[in-house]
Amino acid sequence: MTEQSTKHGAHVRRLERPASQRRGLKHRLRSSVPRLSRFAVEHLLLLPLGALIALVWVNTAPESYYSFTFAISFLVNDVAMMIFFALMTKEIVEATAPGGVLHTWRRATLPVIASFGVSVVPALIYLWAVEALDEPVLSLGWPVTLTMDLAFVYFIGRLIFRSHPMIPFLLLLGIAADALGFLVLALSNPLREVHPAGGIGIMAGAICIAAGLRWLRVRSFWPYLLGAGSASWFALFWGGWHPALALVPIMPFLPHAARDPGFFVDARPDAKDALSQFEIWWRYPGQVALFFFGLVNAGVPAGALEAGTWGVPIAVIVGKPLGLFIGVGLALLGGFHLPLRVGWRELSVGGLIAAIGFSIGLFFCAELFPPGQLRSETSMGVLLTLVAAPLAIIAAKILGVGRFSKHA
Amino acid sequence: MTGRSHRDAVFSRPQLTRAAGRRIGAILVVTALASSATSGQPSPPLPNRADSLKFAAIGDNGTGDKPQFEVAQQMDKARDTFPFELVIMLGDNMYGGQQPADFVKKFQEPYARLLAAGVTFYASLGNHDRPENVSYKPFNMNGARYYTYARKNVRFFVLDTTQLDAKQVAWLDAALQEAKEDWKICYFHHPLYSNAARHGSSVDIRVILEPIFVKHGVNVVFSGHDHIYERLKPQKGIFYFVSGAAGQLRRGNMRPTDQTAAAFDQDQSFMLVEVLENELHFRAISRAGTTVDAGVIQRQARLGATAAKPANAPALASR
Repeated sequence: MTEQSTKHGAHVRRLERPASQRRGLKHRLRSSVPRLSRFAVEHLLLLPLGALIALVWVNTAPESYYSFTFAISFLVNDVAMMIFFALMTKEIVEATAPGGVLHTWRRATLPVIASFGVSVVPALIYLWAVEALDEPVLSLGWPVTLTMDLAFVYFIGRLIFRSHPMIPFLLLLGIAADALGFLVLALSNPLREVHPAGGIGIMAGAICIAAGLRWLRVRSFWPYLLGAGSASWFALFWGGWHPALALVPIMPFLPHAARDPGFFVDARPDAKDALSQFEIWWRYPGQVALFFFGLVNAGVPAGALEAGTWGVPIAVIVGKPLGLFIGVGLALLGGFHLPLRVGWRELSVGGLIAAIGFSIGLFFCAELFPPGQLRSETSMGVLLTLVAAPLAIIAAKILGVGRFSKHA
Repeated sequence: MTGRSHRDAVFSRPQLTRAAGRRIGAILVVTALASSATSGQPSPPLPNRADSLKFAAIGDNGTGDKPQFEVAQQMDKARDTFPFELVIMLGDNMYGGQQPADFVKKFQEPYARLLAAGVTFYASLGNHDRPENVSYKPFNMNGARYYTYARKNVRFFVLDTTQLDAKQVAWLDAALQEAKEDWKICYFHHPLYSNAARHGSSVDIRVILEPIFVKHGVNVVFSGHDHIYERLKPQKGIFYFVSGAAGQLRRGNMRPTDQTAAAFDQDQSFMLVEVLENELHFRAISRAGTTVDAGVIQRQARLGATAAKPANAPALASR
């Protein structure tokens, strides 16, 4: 048909060409909208959107913003965020299955050791910075510098490194650093009075319920959530710890897939295990929770900002790469080995990616400071850590790392 | 005060754009006050009664620089004729280093004469103060970030708005409930209302504190943080002062709005206050010793209603 020289044939060719082009376009679109972009839409959009709305709202109609957000802050920060932390825990639980980054402890040891450097160095820089910036009372906020936003770290890491061994390395680093941060928060939260005896007792009951359900091979996540989860929430609330973490000790008891599907890989709709079912049910409500979390916690009035705002970004953007080098150096001295294709250039870029605190950082701000100037300054500092993302991309380009490598 | 009619004119110019109006307003307010202060027109004297409570208010003072010393000299001079017995400190009592030598340079030396005369300082903490300064004896905080004390018919409530946690808010609610004195005066660092450009109102703190103040009939609130002097028209029946320029100064930082009753941002300043049975007399004095604002407040009826004046009327009583 394409060889026909008639007007009609020419017309057919004109029709055919766009049709084949459309098929090609579809194919190209399909291949150029990879899983990573979907991940960005599904995991990274609503929290920044909430934060953006909060920033605009608080700087245009502050009274209504505070009246609204103070009214819903408990519901958002102490209840709804339970879903977010449960979903993060689900990723970590699955990562312990065969094929996961946490499957063998030996594999995880070096990033765990490195995480001490990544935690300690920024904290020390922060304490120095808030003194130098003449806001010593901000020193209470040092645990904020420990945090890493796993979803953002994963996204920027994949953007730069694609399937490089730096990705599991960064995720392990983030898990270890955040775990250390939560431990510090539990032990030294200035805003909560801790009643450990009662809290631990009720938590023991919650874990027994979860273990019992697992022993009975209960496959639905609902009994775990409503029975063990509720008891765990009450245990943390009563004990003076943060109840948003209520599902963290419960999630490991939910039956999960035999192999790790990969970090931040959506569960298949036909997946039967409780952990996957939990993710399918709560994936989008979790994003809604994150939207409201951004809305409630990221509203920073411009007038509240003083020099101390720079404490967090300075500490993490300088301190995380430096701390990563120190931590990795110590691990190497201890006889551990870096993953293949990971050298000082990859670590430099990885250190910058690790500086992104965002969601977990904002959570820590709300935990450490009551409403007021200190929370505003520190929250804005956390928002500014997002600058580390373009800095990491620029550094990767200069150093020829990941997708910018000559061999890529 | 002759400046009153000028101020009224400034705040009723709907034809001006808001931004332009604010700038012109700032200039006119300062001009009006400065002219009244420097034209030789006598400012109304404080009653200076023997049985009254007299105190001074300073905020954002602890620089250790020359202007702080000059303000302190004016306080010394004022005390020769107006023997105030205490000084309320509105936070940022110390900037920069806070070692023992700094306490000498930024507090003991500037206020040496007042301290020697037995004047008592009662401090609140600002965002530049170290939390451990609560234990510095001359600040009389007795290790507490927030506390209350009474003098004559006045009860003071000193808050730490840098860390306004739920426990402190509950304490304030209970302490105000128990107070039996005629006057309830609160002071702390972050202003609930301020029309300075740099910081402005701390609305987050206001949403928490204002309902409690209204509920318990707080009469007057003093704050610092913005390095200017501003007196606000009563807000929900409560009189607010911002006096954060006893060391630091942000010249030209005022952006008066229809909330502003008076303002001064051309020099460092402090306040003198005298409380009688049902009247609170105040005077704001610049580093040069000129009175930049003065007047009297009638004690409001309990439960937040203003006794003598409508809520939007300027508090200043012309004499």
